Amino acid sequence: MNLEKVIFGFFIIFACTLNFGFFIGDLERVELHHPMELFAAVVVNLVATVLKFGDRTQLGATHLATSLVASFQLVAASLVWVWQIYVIGHPMNGEMISIVVSLSGGALLANVFSVVLLMGETLRQGR
Amino acid sequence: MDDILFLILRRLRAPLITLIVVYAISVGGLALIPGVDPQGNVRPLSIFHAFYVMSYTATTIGFGELPYPFTDPQRLWVTFSIYLSVIGWAYTLGSVIALGNDATFRAIRARSLFSWRVRGISEPFYVLCGYGQSGAHLGRALDRLGNRTVIVEPNVERAARAAIQDYSTPPPTLAADARLADVLEDSGIHSPRCLGLIALAGEDSVNQAIAIGAHVLNPSLQIVVRAKSDVARINLESFGGVQVINPFDTFAFNLRVSLRAPAILQVEEWLTATPGSACPAAQVVPRGRWVLVGFGRFGRAIAAMLDREGIEWRAFDPRSFEDSEKRLLHGDYTEGVLRDAGVQDADVLVAGADVDAVNLGATTLARRVNPDIFVVIRQNQMQDRALIEAAHADLKFVQSDIMVNECLQALKTPMLGRFIAQLREAEGEVASKVLDRVSNEVGAGAPAAWEFVCDVLQPGMFGAFFQRGGEPFRIVHLSADPTNPPERLRVSALMLERNGVAQLLPDADTALKPGDRILFVGDETAQRLQRRYLSEPGTIAWVTTGREPPRALVFRWWRQWSRAA
Repeated sequence: MNLEKVIFGFFIIFACTLNFGFFIGDLERVELHHPMELFAAVVVNLVATVLKFGDRTQLGATHLATSLVASFQLVAASLVWVWQIYVIGHPMNGEMISIVVSLSGGALLANVFSVVLLMGETLRQGR
Repeated sequence: MDDILFLILRRLRAPLITLIVVYAISVGGLALIPGVDPQGNVRPLSIFHAFYVMSYTATTIGFGELPYPFTDPQRLWVTFSIYLSVIGWAYTLGSVIALGNDATFRAIRARSLFSWRVRGISEPFYVLCGYGQSGAHLGRALDRLGNRTVIVEPNVERAARAAIQDYSTPPPTLAADARLADVLEDSGIHSPRCLGLIALAGEDSVNQAIAIGAHVLNPSLQIVVRAKSDVARINLESFGGVQVINPFDTFAFNLRVSLRAPAILQVEEWLTATPGSACPAAQVVPRGRWVLVGFGRFGRAIAAMLDREGIEWRAFDPRSFEDSEKRLLHGDYTEGVLRDAGVQDADVLVAGADVDAVNLGATTLARRVNPDIFVVIRQNQMQDRALIEAAHADLKFVQSDIMVNECLQALKTPMLGRFIAQLREAEGEVASKVLDRVSNEVGAGAPAAWEFVCDVLQPGMFGAFFQRGGEPFRIVHLSADPTNPPERLRVSALMLERNGVAQLLPDADTALKPGDRILFVGDETAQRLQRRYLSEPGTIAWVTTGREPPRALVFRWWRQWSRAA
């Protein structure tokens, strides 16, 4: 067992699951989407991105690209949240939460690709 | 550039993850701990506020407690976070600074910068591998002649020297081994602007590897290599496409030429000297008996030349043992040994040891017993130049001077090199004729040499050959001043090459054919004016008939019509 692979896989799948956890639930219901979960998803995604730095293979480059996409989408979702509450100054409403959640949905897709790449890599190595 | 980015990303992976984790813990914790607002309601900080507070706290800016005063549990957590984040930042910044000082990182950065600068060179350039005495000399000579150079030298200190020497444009320099293919590629040998590669490393095997590598990577590249041993020279010459220069053999060969026909060497030195310098006096080397001090590669090259000329010689060297060679004495450099070698009644002393002090000592001792002896002295170290000059030897061997001369000749005007090779084969009288012709037609200063190619793709040459109604186009036409035809340019045609056959000192009335190459010498103004024959159509017609032919179609019709009328 390779500890590096464990950590790598852990963060990639964790990023995906947290992302999924935030995304799941009715698109317009504010109470189903907790900000702490979005925060955790951003953090874990950033860690996963940094873990992918410095791998010069083609697969490594694609890995990095998916994680960068996911991180950008999640950061954008958080910025929309901050904009609604602190810049506009209204509490969260259904319209705005639907933007946040759909952005995180995009990130989820990127994270799923990342997991698929991880599985493909594992299967190809066959050990 | 890719390498450097990936190295930074890879090295900073751990510090960046640490920083993210530190922020996540502090911000997450702060957002979970309950706070109290001025109305007394229990409300935790939002994630946004927690991130804001942590951002200015972690970077030690400290705006205070926002949006309202903290409770004690929050303060406890912030205290903890401050220490945690200071550790995180210290670790990250420390890693960044360590990366900047890291040897690998600096090597990669220097390499990226080098290949970036090489790619940025917009003028023709030469690649110079090896920056020792000869390399430094040649680099500056090329720079003075207006060429850019790219320097590759494995020794870091030597490579750094190029940066502090007086170059008009500082050359890109890389401290690396040019035997590696990727180093050669980064030094620009694939660039269309790369004119040639010169390998002047200290060891023959290195030069050999560089030359072969460069030739394989770019077969059309002109390559000039120094080889001090015969093995390396033969290897490289059989490989083909590489010009090999052996400084010892070159000097020995020059000595032989001046023994036979001093005028040839005189022509050679004059034509390759810096333009404008005076014609050197013919150096008459006496035949007689020779004494060689030092029997290394230099001594051996001279001895082999003397054998071919049938000249009697004696040599001594404290390090050489060769029982088969009876003319070689074993002895240190003392007066007694010099007398044993017969210096008192010798005609020539070759002080060719690889230590300058020994050469100077031997010269002084020999002159004491035989004041009229002809002295050939070898200078090994650049810093001994003044001492060697002070000895007032009749001939001086300086390896770097020979290398610079030979390389420039090979690189700048290959046709001049071919001319000199032809001249060496020819009789001594031809050389005297060359001297007469050049001093009559050009003057006493050393001339510049260039090649004139009758390239019919050039507008001027097309006109000269095809638009003059079959009138022959002669060498003498190229000697007329294109601005004032009755005046002659200060040029002299030395060689004509047609279909690979060379003719020395062609007659001025020789009719030219398309594709001919002519070696001209003359002053630089004449060279510039002569170029008009290539670039401007009608110059030849104007020079020969005194009339500018019409260029536009309408005027040509007009001319024909007016002639017919």
